[in-house]
Amino acid sequence: MLDILSLLDISFFLLAALGALVGIIFGAIPGMTATMAVAVCLPLTYALGLNHGLALLLGLYVGGISGGMVPAVLLNIPGTPSSITTTFDGYPMAQKGEGERALKVCVVASLVGGLLSAAVLFLFAPLLAEFSIKFSYVEKFLIILLALTVIASMSRNMLVGIFSGVLGIWLSLIGTYSISDGGNGHTRLMFDFLEPYLFDGFSLLPVLIGIFGIATILLEAEEGIKGGLGGKHVEFGKGSGFSFGLFKGRLTNLVRSSFIGTFVGMLPGVGGSAASVLAYTQEKNLARDSSEMGKGAPQGLIASESANNALTGGALIPLLSLGIPGDSTTAVLIGAFTLQGIQVGPLFIPENADTWYVMMTALVFANVVMFFLMFYAIKHIAKVVLVPKYILYPIIVMMCVVGAYAINYGIMFDVWTLLIFGVLGYLIQKVGLEVAPLIIGFILGGQAEVYFVKSLESFGTYSIFFTKSPIAVVLWLLIAASVAFSVIISLKGRAKRQAEAF
Amino acid sequence: MESGLSSLLSVSIDFETSHLFFPHIIHWLLGGLFALILVFNVVPFLVAVRRGEKTLPILGESMDKFRFFGTLALIAAYFYLMSVVGNLFPYTGYGFLFVSMPFLLLMSLMYMHTRTTRKVITAAINALVAPTLAWFILAKLFQITLP
Repeated sequence: MLDILSLLDISFFLLAALGALVGIIFGAIPGMTATMAVAVCLPLTYALGLNHGLALLLGLYVGGISGGMVPAVLLNIPGTPSSITTTFDGYPMAQKGEGERALKVCVVASLVGGLLSAAVLFLFAPLLAEFSIKFSYVEKFLIILLALTVIASMSRNMLVGIFSGVLGIWLSLIGTYSISDGGNGHTRLMFDFLEPYLFDGFSLLPVLIGIFGIATILLEAEEGIKGGLGGKHVEFGKGSGFSFGLFKGRLTNLVRSSFIGTFVGMLPGVGGSAASVLAYTQEKNLARDSSEMGKGAPQGLIASESANNALTGGALIPLLSLGIPGDSTTAVLIGAFTLQGIQVGPLFIPENADTWYVMMTALVFANVVMFFLMFYAIKHIAKVVLVPKYILYPIIVMMCVVGAYAINYGIMFDVWTLLIFGVLGYLIQKVGLEVAPLIIGFILGGQAEVYFVKSLESFGTYSIFFTKSPIAVVLWLLIAASVAFSVIISLKGRAKRQAEAF
Repeated sequence: MESGLSSLLSVSIDFETSHLFFPHIIHWLLGGLFALILVFNVVPFLVAVRRGEKTLPILGESMDKFRFFGTLALIAAYFYLMSVVGNLFPYTGYGFLFVSMPFLLLMSLMYMHTRTTRKVITAAINALVAPTLAWFILAKLFQITLP
């Protein structure tokens, strides 16, 4: 235990606090997400050690998710997708002159959500990791298949979601079938003249930074970079009005929403909006006094914000125990680990116990810092929603370049990868494909190939995927369940639309 | 019957071509899914476009062509020139520093809707300070490789 305390110096806490602050600012600016904050700030971690780097990144993650509440309440624009339900009750409250009160309710709910999910992470991730250590290639392949099915079934359209995921896998296969993974070292899926650039395929981080950084800017540029929010009036209302009495009788809501958030966070690739929407509708269905929701009821804010902050702990569970990212931000975190030479997977926690405790410390500390920053300085932080985009966006492109260039110690092709995937990310979103499954497919595709081919090479029959172990059967059942779930949801939606049409 | 099924499922992978085994399956999957999407999504969508209910993505939408293509062109020029200038002064990060400055300024000017002296000066200061700061912190303090 003393070893761990020696790893926690002043700069560790300062970095976590700085991360939280920068994250809040990113989250508060509409169009920028926690993912972007983490991606853009990655180059700063190249020079930091693993622990300090993680402190900064986890701070960014927590701050970025929380920051979204600011424009949601004050301007009726969700700063991040997951704060969409915060607008339902936050903005009406702001219009009534209760902006500050609404924000403080959100901040407290966020803290509770963040801490509860951190506790679940702390208890649950080591168990899951211990369980999954025994997995052979067959089960590992099925886990990846399950992850992809779950993401796809959560997409707006399952078919499109699956297609996007498979496309991501395809992109990840470009390059060699690596000898170190037991492959034969031949290249595939490319032209010969590209071999010097693409021998190892596309690097993960430039791909992520391109899709989340450059593509976002292209999408905004297409809209003409709307002049920012400078002209809008930000209404705080009177300073007083908040008391913890607002949470009286809301404990069930708070805890339920936090657990919903944590659970949704665990499902791979499912974005934050699913968590807060689910928590919000649950509160609406279950609470006795839900008639005021949507008109400015604090209980709606509590549901929405505790769920979306609970995502953080939840999304880290599959990342740290299985090596499968729970959302796009944790996908970028995988890149940060790779950068430090650490492979996340079932062996991560047992082999890096110090790092694990350090991460937990950083996560809890980041939540506390987020709370104090936002609770006491919210009025000042809220002004960043007014920073003009013509200043912000060029800086973001610049930071993307640094991140991409430095990742492999100076390869210009990685910078071009930014542009390639920036444009690709733009096109993907324009034609209606889904980014989250594509990214998860890209990250897991290489491993999926190795596990799949190795399983077949060892056993020589496809039937091994069904008969290897009881776990394999359970995984197949889960895959079937997620597909069935998605089909039922889509049929219900269709029936509802038809009913409305008549 | 039993043996027929197991022989159907049995598979052997030739090491020499094992790099193509998985991509081959992925190609078939992609092709199959694409055909399904074509039938269930694309065709109904195109029918709706024809009836005038929906518009084609990108082509049918109004877009700010100047800012969109300007962004693309600026970014491409930025990346290209950065490596050209960077090769003149290897291992110094000057390519990044000196090309970032005009890039930031041009991009800021392009994204501004109304140009007032005050705004332009802010953008110019930002274009000088931000790259210098990034270059100093990253290349000098942290010794990170920059173009």
